[in-house]
Amino acid sequence: MPNVTIDPTGEVIWLEPEETVLSGLFRAGFAYTVGCRRGGCAICKVDCLAGTFGYNRRVAESVLSADERTDGTCLSCRAVPQTDVTIRLREGDLRMVNPYLRQINERARQRAEALAAAQPASGVTSKE
Amino acid sequence: MGVMRMGYAHVRVTDLAEAKAHYANTMGLYETHAEDGRVYYKGWDEWDHHSVVLEEGGVGVVKFGWKVRYSSDLDEIERRAQAFGVTVERMSRGENPEIGDGIRFTTPSEHVFEVYHEATLIGTEVGTHNPDAFPRHLVGVGVPGLDHALITAEDVKGMERFLTEVFDFYATERVQTSLEDDADYIGTWMTSNNQIHQLAVIGGPQGKLHHFAFKLGDWSEVGHAADLFSMDDVPIDVGPTRHGITRGQTVYFFDPSGNRNEVFAGGYLAYPDRPVHVWTPEQLGKGIFYHARELNDRFTTVLT
Repeated sequence: MPNVTIDPTGEVIWLEPEETVLSGLFRAGFAYTVGCRRGGCAICKVDCLAGTFGYNRRVAESVLSADERTDGTCLSCRAVPQTDVTIRLREGDLRMVNPYLRQINERARQRAEALAAAQPASGVTSKE
Repeated sequence: MGVMRMGYAHVRVTDLAEAKAHYANTMGLYETHAEDGRVYYKGWDEWDHHSVVLEEGGVGVVKFGWKVRYSSDLDEIERRAQAFGVTVERMSRGENPEIGDGIRFTTPSEHVFEVYHEATLIGTEVGTHNPDAFPRHLVGVGVPGLDHALITAEDVKGMERFLTEVFDFYATERVQTSLEDDADYIGTWMTSNNQIHQLAVIGGPQGKLHHFAFKLGDWSEVGHAADLFSMDDVPIDVGPTRHGITRGQTVYFFDPSGNRNEVFAGGYLAYPDRPVHVWTPEQLGKGIFYHARELNDRFTTVLT
């Protein structure tokens, strides 16, 4: 599954399948400035510096302009990464509000990476 | 001369199926009609054909409908709006399903208002003949009806003057930059009758929706609604809490397209001769959220 790397801290968030950027960060224990969380208010935009993503719902023109659809603007509550992505938050610092979730997410990411590394080399299914 | 109430709020939603699930299953509105990517709803205690219209495509408000008591009110409001300098067009029966002839204009705040006198009478869900207190099998929150809306405008004072001169509304509460006579207005809460507010306006961009609200009976119903929002994964913005302004009890939350909704209970009785409550900016947090006493970062920025 795709990872989200947060620039400039380098924090890496592991996503569930079809998970949005916003959902992934909150599930990993972080918080940042969000509004309606349903694609309507445009407050949770971040900038995507690397990687590709799509939207899991239609996004209103009033929320995302034509230019913003191509300049890396990422409406994080609706954006589902298609590859690993690197994002940069726009306003305020990334806030750690639940370190336990961060630990769980970090272990999940390590398991996924170990699984991906093991499979092509040995062809043996991981016991995890 | 009489605007009786906000008759309908017509809003845009990005995904009609998700919106229908919210407004029908969570809010408990009754679907009365559907056509051309639009769905029409009423609350159980409303008698006219609809009070909420969902239109697929985009977010935010398309228009508000205002029902007047007498057909002659349409002529009077048209004359007053024109005198104010607003262009008024005639609206024919059927342009909105089950809504009669009326007028349409764009306010100085760039919101579209329709004013009408007739709507098809469906009747409340309890009827008028020895009616029970509420329907037995309400769905979700089971809101009885639409209550009010809050919109944003660049010129709040100008909108208060417009609503006063054209709709004969009066202000019940205001947020002002100072208590001086020349103070600028940051917000105004307005009504035509004893309802504490039918439309409120706060400073912000033109043509935007802050929220539209459904009425509830009391604190316990507001708390119950918030419980249901958690069950249905509805994002709660604020609450349950009380507004200092209006004294109403509230939850702000978002529909599946990000339009802010509210459930609102209480609020004291308004009278035109009651002195206006005036709030100053340093107490605005208490005015909006009476318990937390500070605004959150979404109140002035999250609009559709």
